[in-house]
Amino acid sequence: MKIRHLLAISGVLTIGLIVLILVFASRDMGAVVAKLRFVEVADDLNASLLEMRLAEKNYFLFSDDAALGAITAGVTRADQTLEQLRPEILHATGPGNVSTLRGHLAEYARIAVETAASHARDPEHEEALREAGRRVREFSARLVRAEREDVHRIIAASRQGLFLSFMVVLVLAVLAGPLVFVRILRSLRRVVDLAHSIAEGRFRHIEGVFPNDELGTVLRAMNAMSDELRSRENELLQAKKLASLGTLTAGVAHEITNPLNNISMLAETFDTLYDDLGRAEHIDFVRKIAGESERIRQIVLGLLNFSKPKQADPREAELNEVIRGTMRLVGNMLDVSGIEVELRLAEGLPNVYVDENQIYQVLVNVITNAIQSMEGVEARKRRLVVTTFQDEASGVVAVELRDTGKGIPAEHLPHVFDPFFSTKGVGGTGLGLSVSYGIIKNHGGRIRAANAPDGGAALTVELPAYHADKEENDGRTKDHDH
Amino acid sequence: MGAPRIMIIDDEQIVGNMAKMHLTKEGFEVETFLSATPALERLEQAHFDVVVTDLKMKGVDGMEVLRTVKRKHPKIKVIMITAFAHLNTSIEAFRGEVFDFFPKPFKIKDFVASIHRALGLQAKEA
Repeated sequence: MKIRHLLAISGVLTIGLIVLILVFASRDMGAVVAKLRFVEVADDLNASLLEMRLAEKNYFLFSDDAALGAITAGVTRADQTLEQLRPEILHATGPGNVSTLRGHLAEYARIAVETAASHARDPEHEEALREAGRRVREFSARLVRAEREDVHRIIAASRQGLFLSFMVVLVLAVLAGPLVFVRILRSLRRVVDLAHSIAEGRFRHIEGVFPNDELGTVLRAMNAMSDELRSRENELLQAKKLASLGTLTAGVAHEITNPLNNISMLAETFDTLYDDLGRAEHIDFVRKIAGESERIRQIVLGLLNFSKPKQADPREAELNEVIRGTMRLVGNMLDVSGIEVELRLAEGLPNVYVDENQIYQVLVNVITNAIQSMEGVEARKRRLVVTTFQDEASGVVAVELRDTGKGIPAEHLPHVFDPFFSTKGVGGTGLGLSVSYGIIKNHGGRIRAANAPDGGAALTVELPAYHADKEENDGRTKDHDH
Repeated sequence: MGAPRIMIIDDEQIVGNMAKMHLTKEGFEVETFLSATPALERLEQAHFDVVVTDLKMKGVDGMEVLRTVKRKHPKIKVIMITAFAHLNTSIEAFRGEVFDFFPKPFKIKDFVASIHRALGLQAKEA
C-alpha cells in the first residue's frame, strides 16, 4: 500500500471515530436529561401523592368526607401532569410505565369516589382505598428509583464508552503510527547507507525486497543512479586526466620549446658557421642535437604515459620513485611558477603496491592545486615540501605535500573531496580531489587535507605497505571494490 | 669606443653559447649568464649596449631584469626571448619598452638582425 494511502486511511479513521464518539455521547446525554426531567416530575407527583395519603388518613381518623374530594382533586392534577409529559420524557421513561401509573391513579380516584358515595363506613371499601393508595405510592416510588438507577447506568456506560474509544485511538496510534514510521525510517536508512557508500566512491546496490510504495520508487531510483555513477567513473577518471593534461600543457610547452629551440639554434649554427667550426665542434653539435632530441622524447613519453587510458595495473613500487617520476612530469611547471621544491624522502620505506600512473595522477593533481594556491604569494615564499615517511603505529607509507599557499578555509575542509566542490570558479571542474580520493580509496589507502600551522595546505596520501610474502595485498588493490 | 657589448641571460646554456658564436663573428663583445642575479651585478661593473634576457627563469625573471635595466640604465636596449609565446606576455613586454621580442624557437639570423637594429647599425646582408 502506498504511504499516502496509509496516511489518508488513518486520517479518515480518526475523524470517523471522533464523530462516532460525539454521536453516542450526545445520545446518552439526551437520555440522561429526559430521565432527570421525569424524576423531577415524579418528585412533584410524590409530593401530591403524600398529600392524598394524608387526606386518606384524615378521612379514616376524622371521617372527613371532604378529604375524599381532596384525593380525587389530587389524582386529577397528577393525571394532567402525566398526560402533559413531553414525548421524549415519555419515551425515555417508557410509555407502559406511565400508563400503568395512570391506571393505578384512576383506580385510586374511583375507589375514593365510591367510598364517598357509600356514606357508610364500609370496612371493605376502606381497605380497598388504603390498598389503592399504597399501590400508587409504591409504583411511583419504584419508577423514580428505576429512573435514577437508569441515569447512573447511562452515565457509567458513557464513561466506559469514552474510555474505550480513547483506548482504541491510543492502540491505533501506538500500533499503526510506528508501523508507518518504521517503514519510512527503514527505507530512509537504506538510502542513507547507499548515499554514504557512494560518497566514499563505492557504487554498490541496495539489496533486498523493495516496498511497493513511494519509498520503493526512491530505492529503485537510487540503484539506477548508483549504476549510472559506476559506469561514469571510468569516463570521469579519463576526463579528469585529460583536464589535468590541459593544466600541464603550459609547463610542457615551455619544456618542449626549450630543447626545440636549442636544436634549432645548433642546426642553424652548424649550417651557417660550418667552416668556422672544427671537427670536434661538429661532433659536439650533433651530439647536443641528439641529447636535446632525447630530452623532448622523454617529455613526450611521460605525457603519453600519463594520458593513455589504462586498466588499473598495480605493481610493487617504491613510493620515493613514484614521487621522483611525478617530479619529472611537473618539475618544469613548478620551476616556471617560481616554486622552490624540497624533497624530504625517507630512506628504507617499505614498498607499496600501486598503479603508478594513477598515483602520478593524484600527485599531479595535488601539486597543480598547490601551484594555483600559491599564485598570489610573494615569489621567494613559494615553496613545496614533499615528505615521505612511514607511520610507526599503523605501518602505512605516506607522502605529505605541504605548500605555502592560501591554505584551505576551515569551512571548506570537510568538502574538498566532494565531487564538484570547487573554489576556483569557472576554471575548476571540482572533480580533481574527489577523483584522487577515489583512486587512493581503491588502493586501500587514505587521502587527508589539513592546513599547516604556519599557513598553506598539507595533503597527505597514505598507502598500505606491501610485503611480497603476504598474499592478502593482492586483489585488494587490483580492482575497484564494486 | 670599442666594439658594441652584448649581455645574454638564459638558463639554457646552448642559447647563450650559440648566440655568442654568431655575435662574436659580427665583431661584438658578448658575455653570457645562466641566471639574472649575477648578470645584474655585472651590469653595475661594466658597460653594455644591449641586454638579451629570457623571460621565465628561476629566481629573478626577465620582467624584473627589464625593469631594473630601464630604471638604472635607460639607454640600454633590452631584447626578450621566451618559450612562452602567449600574446599577453608579449604585450606586457612591449609596454615595458622592450626593443624586440623573440618567441622560441627563433632564427638566429633574425636575432642577429635585431641586435644590429638595436645598435643602430645596418645589418650585413647574409
